[in-house]
Amino acid sequence: MKNWGLMAAPLGIVLFGMSVLYLKMNPGGSKLTAEVLQGPLNYVPWLAAVILLALFIQAVIIKRREDTFLFPIVLTLCSVGIVEIARLKPALLVRQLQWLCVAMIVMILVLRFWGRIRRMLGYPYLLGVACIFLLGLPLLFGTEIGGSKNWLVLGPISIQPSEFGKILIVFFLAAYLSDHRRVLTLPAHRIFLLQLPPLRFIAPLICIWGMAVLMFVVEKDLGSALLFFGMAVLMTYMATGSKSYVFLALAFIGVAAAASYAAFGHVRVRFDIWLNPWQDPNGMAYQVVQSLFAFGTGGIWGTGFGYGHPGFIPEVHTDFIFAAIAEEMGLIATMMLMTCYVLFFWRGIKTALSCRKEKEVLLAAGCCSLMLLQAFIIIAGVTKFLPLTGITLPFISYGGSSMVSSFVLLGLLISLSKEQEHG
Amino acid sequence: MADWKIKRQILQAASFLLVLTGLLTAYIIYLSTWEADSLANNPLNMRGAAARADIRRGAILDAKGRVLAQNRADGSRSYPMGESMAAVTGYNGEKIGSAGVEGHANRELLGLSDDLSHLGPASQLFQSEQGNDVKLTIESDAQQAAFDGLDGRKGAVVVLDAETGAVLAMVSSPSYDPNDIEANWQALSKQADGALLNRAVQGMYPPGSTIKPMIADAALAESVTNEQEVFDCSGTLDVGAGETIRESHGEVHGKVNLRKALTESCNVTFGTLGMRLGDEKLKKSFERFGFDKGLGGEILMEGSHLPAFGKLGSGDLAQTGIGQSTLLVTPMHMALMAAAFANGGVIMKPYLVQQVITPGGTVIQDTRPTKWLTATTPTMAAKIDSFMEDVVTKGTGRAAQVSGVRVTGKTGTAENAAGEDHAWFIGSAELRNRRIVFAIIVENGGSGGTQAAPIARKVILSLQN
Repeated sequence: MKNWGLMAAPLGIVLFGMSVLYLKMNPGGSKLTAEVLQGPLNYVPWLAAVILLALFIQAVIIKRREDTFLFPIVLTLCSVGIVEIARLKPALLVRQLQWLCVAMIVMILVLRFWGRIRRMLGYPYLLGVACIFLLGLPLLFGTEIGGSKNWLVLGPISIQPSEFGKILIVFFLAAYLSDHRRVLTLPAHRIFLLQLPPLRFIAPLICIWGMAVLMFVVEKDLGSALLFFGMAVLMTYMATGSKSYVFLALAFIGVAAAASYAAFGHVRVRFDIWLNPWQDPNGMAYQVVQSLFAFGTGGIWGTGFGYGHPGFIPEVHTDFIFAAIAEEMGLIATMMLMTCYVLFFWRGIKTALSCRKEKEVLLAAGCCSLMLLQAFIIIAGVTKFLPLTGITLPFISYGGSSMVSSFVLLGLLISLSKEQEHG
Repeated sequence: MADWKIKRQILQAASFLLVLTGLLTAYIIYLSTWEADSLANNPLNMRGAAARADIRRGAILDAKGRVLAQNRADGSRSYPMGESMAAVTGYNGEKIGSAGVEGHANRELLGLSDDLSHLGPASQLFQSEQGNDVKLTIESDAQQAAFDGLDGRKGAVVVLDAETGAVLAMVSSPSYDPNDIEANWQALSKQADGALLNRAVQGMYPPGSTIKPMIADAALAESVTNEQEVFDCSGTLDVGAGETIRESHGEVHGKVNLRKALTESCNVTFGTLGMRLGDEKLKKSFERFGFDKGLGGEILMEGSHLPAFGKLGSGDLAQTGIGQSTLLVTPMHMALMAAAFANGGVIMKPYLVQQVITPGGTVIQDTRPTKWLTATTPTMAAKIDSFMEDVVTKGTGRAAQVSGVRVTGKTGTAENAAGEDHAWFIGSAELRNRRIVFAIIVENGGSGGTQAAPIARKVILSLQN
């Protein structure tokens, strides 16, 4: 049982993160005082719960001979996230630890009930309808928080349906595409150089693309829109290998983007900020410009944990947490995080390649691609590589919905990784 | 059984995603390295200022360790000596920037060490939250005596240690109170030659007769005269083209040698010497004494405005010989000229910051005196020095006499376009353990002997003990 040694990893990582935090609590100009954290008694029980759950989950994974690398990688990301949130918004630390507990419990449920969950793959259209319903909820009952109308407020907690919608869409795409893979690759119609199957087969795909555009325009949620659209294109290519779909999709998004640029003010603003943030550095482009400053100030080594000023960036604990990490821990830390995401992705792809069933291959590939694509979109946004979009950095940003849905995806991936051992 | 095609397509899609991620990674590396400095130093980036605001600024101390500027508990800055020390301490404000030692020694006061920012977190080991204290060469007593001596009149006083170049006092009047400068900034910054101008180093004045010791030095060094030559002063000197130079108050000095001419400040003699020296030799002598040079660093002294040598008529030459013409100098420069005669011909580079002391008490920087210029020979310096002693013992500068102290000097009453003559007095005093030199100007004060020389006496008395 040499793998038991791996169990120490999650514990060690979380402990390390917290010890860094303790160092900061010692006197010496730190703004992170005991009063802000409301005393260790408030968060230590939750931290202990997180550690116990982590140990339990890793033990289950080892016992079931599933992939032992995915979970420690995620814990590394979570530790960084918790430490950063304690640094940036100490008042939210307990909340984040609670969400982490909830997410891990949900993940245990996914692992436990995987046998039933996988059966959902047999009902693609039900999945599709559920997904559209979930994403449609905020259009009807949504509340606008932080500029995006993609929140549902249920009593004390607010949730983002799109965070859970993205899981369903991966399920739907995996199920639908593998069912219709052969039909979709039939060269029924030739339009210019594109080879397209009958319209009724590609209608669901166009439906998803259209929904993504709708999300952007109505809910002002560019991040999720890009993520959904990207996933649809990526998974369609994975299933069919047809470049025609990619061209079709790019043409579609091109037209949609041009149309919304012309028609909607907030789209135009986003795009103009991206093209030239220095035109209005203290106004519309303030966030992006401050984020760039954070990267510049951090440089290679960072200013040192606790010695930077990430507070200049609005929403630094959610969407812009990567900039805060870059400022205080420098290029070293950002490269480490990128490596973690890539490693996670690569383990996921490995899992996908070793799956037997077509649907599961696509599901595994979809889950890990979703993670990497989401990380890519938000990191590209805060560095002005792409226009800024508002989505969370998976496993790191503050946010309950994001944490739970990311752990669900992790649970799915780990469950899928079981197959390779047992054949 | 999933067929190989799907797996190949997944690998293709995965590679595509990895390439995208790789591009993003390369871009982040570019941001954090190549672009980092320009982003970090962008004027809109408040992070540097915020980091500095976290540091408790160190204190400014005088030579005896008395506090000239320090932080109050609430972070605001207090200046116990207020406006009398403003020309030295300067000010520091978020919106108005900084000046004086506050500006020049900013990095030391904040404890910022050079080029540690690239060490990353390790730089925090060297960065204390309390800045360093800066100990100056200023003697608060002399500073106060000089400020009181000016008594609200416009003018400036510079006092140096001739052997080291240490600035013992630097006063500019009118002054401002750095304690509440931010509240008064609007009014202060509107005045063109108001309180914010440090007259001691930035004020440009005609030196008048105080230039005569240097002309005497030049005349002897260039052998256009000797100590024995007797000049006949009839009260006026014809300088050609129908112009004449007159003695002040219509005096007639009669037959005088060079020593007597300096003691009595005889314009006829020095006008004659100016004409005899001519363009080239005058220019050379002004350069020997550094009048063509400014000073940088903690003492931002302007270079002097010299007459257009090479194109001067005999009238201008004679006027230059008595410190008029278009010649304009700073009080600091006149003190440096006096230092040459008091210190064997060598002018030491003036400095204000003696030590930088860490909060732990370690001295991390201790200024060593350095030579600025060799203006003249020790013999010549001693000779002129003895001439200047006569000025105080039996000439125009008797108001600067202090019993038991050897005082030398030269008075000046400089004509100027602004109205009443400027009153000058420059010189030196041999105290128990050091030789001090000074330059004093009272703008539009009238006679140097009666208006400026008494201030020198007050300064000497304040430093005597």
